[in-house]
Amino acid sequence: MDSNLAAGLAMIGAIGPGIGLGIGFSKAMEALGRNPEASGAIFVPYILGLALTEAIGIYCLVVALILIFAG
Amino acid sequence: MAEEEGESLIHIALGGEELFAIGPFVVTNSMIGALLASLLLLAAAWYVTRQSTLIPSRLQGLLELPVEWVAGIVAGSTSRWRGYVALVIGFFLMILVANWLGLLPGVGTIGLRHGEELVPFVRPAAADLNFTLGLAIITFVVFVWWGIRINGPGGYLKELIGEPRYMAPLMFPIHLISELSRLVSLSMRLFGNVFAGEVLIATMLALTTATVFVLPLAFFVPSIFLGLELLFGAVQAIVFALLTMTYITMAIAEHDGGHEPEHDPRDDHGEPDVHPASSPA
Repeated sequence: MDSNLAAGLAMIGAIGPGIGLGIGFSKAMEALGRNPEASGAIFVPYILGLALTEAIGIYCLVVALILIFAG
Repeated sequence: MAEEEGESLIHIALGGEELFAIGPFVVTNSMIGALLASLLLLAAAWYVTRQSTLIPSRLQGLLELPVEWVAGIVAGSTSRWRGYVALVIGFFLMILVANWLGLLPGVGTIGLRHGEELVPFVRPAAADLNFTLGLAIITFVVFVWWGIRINGPGGYLKELIGEPRYMAPLMFPIHLISELSRLVSLSMRLFGNVFAGEVLIATMLALTTATVFVLPLAFFVPSIFLGLELLFGAVQAIVFALLTMTYITMAIAEHDGGHEPEHDPRDDHGEPDVHPASSPA
């Protein structure tokens, strides 16, 4: 039971990446709206940025899953 | 009671499970998944190269499409892209096929029963940290090797020490940890995404199974998440391949002082506008 509670607490850390992903996505859409021809140039840095932001949330998820299934 | 039923419905192992052992060499079900993905890729490569034509047939065009797309992105990174384009495409195809193979029906559900728990024959390869860590170690070795090859061992050490020389005692451990953290972040990102996808689908199935006699939710809700996993599997394959490319590009571009790579007349096809070296890591 303790490890389940700890897993829930660990997922609080997913709030930050959630906000960060929203900011990144909105800025990418803004850039695309200003300059639609730049979609090819935006795509790769955009995907990399989202992946690096999302990784923080994934760390929380991995910690939570380890706590549930191995703790 | 309900909780116990739920727990037996969602049986999820964190790592690969042992199927059989050849002497001291233990074969796990995630190794079978990786092997199946490699065999599928080998068969596709053999088919395409055996009867390839200049004007591709429909199947050949379909199989060449992802290769050309990734090659186009890699060609825009540095002038030395020919040295690592095969590795990046290989990572992309391997992870893509391994992820999508894990979504097929029967993977993770057909297996042998050992007492209470089911040991499936095939497990999606990236849902095992051993697979993703193995790929990340390959990436690590390759980008450190490129850094040493371009800058020389002394130049590589100089990059680790940093610019103001008197800050070396502080900056050297930080740079070292940031290099090593790429290993952790690459492997954990892929493992976390794929494993979380497995858990998500299993959870959705367990949540909707009780409604099967009233509403056919158990057929629709997990299939929505299966479609989502199809997308995530492709995105994670792209992300792993592009991060590998970015790390190698950074190891090469540090030599030029972070300037844009010089133009090579050979790399005219593709997307020359893409400069992934300027993205953070």
